[in-house]
Amino acid sequence: MQLRATALAVVCLLLRGAAPVWADVEAASRVTFFREPGNSNEGVTVVHPQTDVNAVLGESLSIGAGYEVDMVSGATPAIYSAQSGVDAISGATKFDDFRQAARAALGWNTNTVGVNAAYSYGWESDYRSHTLQVGAKGDFLERNFTLGLAYTRNLDEVCDQNNEAAQGLLDLKPLVSSATCFQTGQRTTVTRKVDIDTLEPSLTWTATPKLLLQFGATLQLLDGFQSSPYRRVVVNFQGQAPQERLPEQRQRYALFVRGNWAFPSIRGALSMGARAYRDSWDLWSGTLDTWFNKYLASKILVTLRGRYHKQTGAVFFRSGPDLEIKGPTGEYWTGDRELAPMDTILAGFKLAYISKRGQEQQAFLEEVEINAKFDGLIYNLDANAPNADRPYALIAQLGAALRF
Amino acid sequence: MALRLFFESRLRFAVLALALVATAAGCGTSRTARPGSRSWLVKPHQREYLADRIMRLDSNGQERAADQHVLVTREGAVGGGGTAGGGCGCN
Repeated sequence: MQLRATALAVVCLLLRGAAPVWADVEAASRVTFFREPGNSNEGVTVVHPQTDVNAVLGESLSIGAGYEVDMVSGATPAIYSAQSGVDAISGATKFDDFRQAARAALGWNTNTVGVNAAYSYGWESDYRSHTLQVGAKGDFLERNFTLGLAYTRNLDEVCDQNNEAAQGLLDLKPLVSSATCFQTGQRTTVTRKVDIDTLEPSLTWTATPKLLLQFGATLQLLDGFQSSPYRRVVVNFQGQAPQERLPEQRQRYALFVRGNWAFPSIRGALSMGARAYRDSWDLWSGTLDTWFNKYLASKILVTLRGRYHKQTGAVFFRSGPDLEIKGPTGEYWTGDRELAPMDTILAGFKLAYISKRGQEQQAFLEEVEINAKFDGLIYNLDANAPNADRPYALIAQLGAALRF
Repeated sequence: MALRLFFESRLRFAVLALALVATAAGCGTSRTARPGSRSWLVKPHQREYLADRIMRLDSNGQERAADQHVLVTREGAVGGGGTAGGGCGCN
């Protein structure tokens, strides 16, 4: 009898607590479709679905979980070399890759301070990644300022060809297949480590009732194998093509400022951001990003976006012809487009349908959002740069979110 | 002639510009706030526009992650994209 009464009391407590405990839940899904066509091969296609669920338990505790997949297919340059014109890439290897990542997050937020932690694990046939992230933030001066600090530690593993028999750097062989990666008792491949530490401080300032500003920085230290294990680079006129070789240490520094400016008279807001970047491979870059959001009707939100990015090349980057004529800079050589001098232009738009529950309405769902986004990305590269035959990419996204 | 010589010094020009900005800022606040009064701070009842989703710096987290996921492997620079959690104190 006493047991039944206790059980009844517990059920009553749970039912009483059910409404506030699950009062703030968000489930969001998104699919990103990326297509980069090539003039000399089929290019690259990526389909990236992702799902995230976040819930606030009680008044302060929040939990979250997420899962994402990358389905990559296409053709990648087998060897970066100096051929004439835009055909600077000789040969192309068809490939398919499948990457998955799962994450879990925990947060504790009061009115003025918050701490959070997250862990994610990503895995694919030739790469594994453990990521631990912790962050803290605090409001001060009547919540006009928010100071935030985030730290991320990556413990990654890359599969590489076993090159212990190589006599010198020019004898380094590329990875041919990931079939034996991470398997014990075989000597074809080895596992190489990459450790990444990232620190991101930021300060957000509510400057006026219509203007929000954020200043911040990123410091990132990478230590480990950072080359593509599959890529070969022709490094001299004799046609020797060893595996790509990059330095094992890299320090990256970035400063940024962002601002959101409300225009209530037109039910819109302008967002602008600028970033300056430099790293220890002497790659410099500057990026300008802008969005304009406007409500077209009570439930339709349209966003226009423009972005410009310009970067120098890494200090050891050489074009294909330069590598064959002059040779590499020191003991490093690469055929990676992202280390080449270039600028990119991105432009796009987004349409969102947002339906909110009225204050008087009794409904399970508080908000429903469905959005579609389309961006075009144009690369401006030297004709002899890696992947110069892929001058643009198209990115489409379809997203949905439920809040209840 | 003296004016031209004065402006030939970039340092002096920069000092003059900073002094003008500081004076303008001082004039702007002196009409509305006494030093230490904190009346320059944005009050909770003034955050109506800041509370809208289009003004929040940490909104669209999943979309921003997807955008970053695309760009991070195609450009040589990462980081400095802004951090999440920078709210306006609207909640």
